[in-house]
Amino acid sequence: MEYLSIFFQYAGQYLKTRLTYRADMVVEIFSDFLFQAVNLVFILVVFGHTTLLAGWSKDEMIFIYGFFLVPFAIFSSFFNIWDFTDRYIVKGEMDRILTRPVHSLFQIVLERMELESLFGAVTGLIVMFYAGGKLGLEISWYDPFIFLLLVIGGALVYAGIFISLATIGFWSDSRTDIMPMMYNIGNYGRYPVDIYNKIIKYVLTWILPFAFVGVYPASYFLERKEWYTYAFLTPVVGLVFFMIAVTLWNVGVTKYRGAGN
Amino acid sequence: MENIIDVQNLKKEFKSYSSRQGLKGAFRDLFTRNYTIKTAVDDISFSIKRGEMVGYIGENGAGKSTSIKMLTGILTPTDGKIVVNGMNPHKEREKFVKTIGVVFGQRSQLWWDIAVQESFRLLKKIYNVPDQQYEEHMKDVIETLDIGPLLDKPVRKLSLGQRMRCELAAALIHNPPLLFLDEPTIGLDVLVKLKIREFLKRINEKYGTTILLTTHDLSDIEALCERVVMLDEGKIIYDGPLKELRENWAEGKQIQFQFSEKATLEELQNLTKDHLVVWEQGESDLIWIASVDSDETVISGVIGKVTAVKKIADLKILEISTEEIIRNIYVEGAVRHG
Repeated sequence: MEYLSIFFQYAGQYLKTRLTYRADMVVEIFSDFLFQAVNLVFILVVFGHTTLLAGWSKDEMIFIYGFFLVPFAIFSSFFNIWDFTDRYIVKGEMDRILTRPVHSLFQIVLERMELESLFGAVTGLIVMFYAGGKLGLEISWYDPFIFLLLVIGGALVYAGIFISLATIGFWSDSRTDIMPMMYNIGNYGRYPVDIYNKIIKYVLTWILPFAFVGVYPASYFLERKEWYTYAFLTPVVGLVFFMIAVTLWNVGVTKYRGAGN
Repeated sequence: MENIIDVQNLKKEFKSYSSRQGLKGAFRDLFTRNYTIKTAVDDISFSIKRGEMVGYIGENGAGKSTSIKMLTGILTPTDGKIVVNGMNPHKEREKFVKTIGVVFGQRSQLWWDIAVQESFRLLKKIYNVPDQQYEEHMKDVIETLDIGPLLDKPVRKLSLGQRMRCELAAALIHNPPLLFLDEPTIGLDVLVKLKIREFLKRINEKYGTTILLTTHDLSDIEALCERVVMLDEGKIIYDGPLKELRENWAEGKQIQFQFSEKATLEELQNLTKDHLVVWEQGESDLIWIASVDSDETVISGVIGKVTAVKKIADLKILEISTEEIIRNIYVEGAVRHG
């Protein structure tokens, strides 16, 4: 409860700061939006040549893409930890974090949040409603709740993977290019996994479970019954990966060496 | 009175890789790495009682920062026992840090972009300080540090001295019984330094705050601390009253003569051969310094004999400064006990 009130205090402060740089914020939202538009155009171009891809239609693909945008938006608003090693370990900002009576990971989430990325979720919803309308999908009263659960699960998968990677910084502060690579791999999750070969499919399901951010949960709403088990595993996988990440983090903190000064 | 800090056989080792030379060496590094273990803090023990102000001194790399970081729960000790405010700093970190205040001179606690008072409000939330306590306590702190007019400015627009005072206030928002200050006066001008010292004295008297201070500026220590702990190469080489350190080391006085004509060492030694005097040449061959015992007859004897023969332009009697004492200790590598 206390954490929630700290969160709102930070969020309020964040908005206050951002509103003083209004132009900056508009540009950022606009460039986010453009980036998503480009991705959508890519899907449209692919389907300009074919109508079905491994049994998935164009509108289904667009729907999956729209769904993917929602957990991804939540992830990018709150887990900006791709530069954790540089910012907190090398520069020694972790010292400051560790002298405060709030969990260190939570503090970093608060300090690095970028709430304007949440607009990506709006884009995602629009894309989903557009594609869903064309597919004639119906919405039941419990769908919004399931949607929320699956979105949170997906965001936790993303968060878990990236937090785990960030913890490498506690052991070694050398530069690695693993973060941008992981962002690229993450993008594979927004296409149906059965278009890939078996090994990639296995990796995207159980090792780097990005498929649980896009295609698996979205298949519930597309009424693809063969994927239902996976769809409902989403929150479980999310929770498991997130818990592994937090455990790694807590161990990592005890290995923190500090920056010399 | 009870111990607020209790450290026993504390040790911290850092493992680091040393890379080999050249391209061939880099290839070998890929397979087997050379480790070197560096002991930053080597088996130190000490305790600090409630209400004490202790100066923690040492050269760069002596292990000051590392031990402070272990005391504040930032680093995990390799070995040894630490109890601070009745807790193990690293194990119960989140609960523990509510009972301490920390100022790192080279690192800001405040948010760069937002006004100082907004930073204070965030910290108040983080430390969960009740409104009433905050109002009462901070009003006093803000007044004494004279930062009222700075509160609505963003931190990035403050000068170093202004920022440092705000940092101090920020560290005291939850009115902690123990305050760690790592180089709090680094780079500050004399007036700000004085103000900060006065403030520290005041909170020590008023709230009984225990203060552990590291600094390069020994005048800080002289002004504030009765006790010093001195580190060298990770070991404590002195722990005791500052006064004793001075007495044991600064036994003598120095008399600086500035002659109006050239003087030679031989000549001067001849003049004062009845007393125990060590002559040293100053900045030019007109300036000579005599180190003597702190004894009235010796001092007046030396001055009398020299001035009877040589013409002098200036004469100074110098007390050996703490800074010099500490330099001497590091040169000799150990502390003599009186």
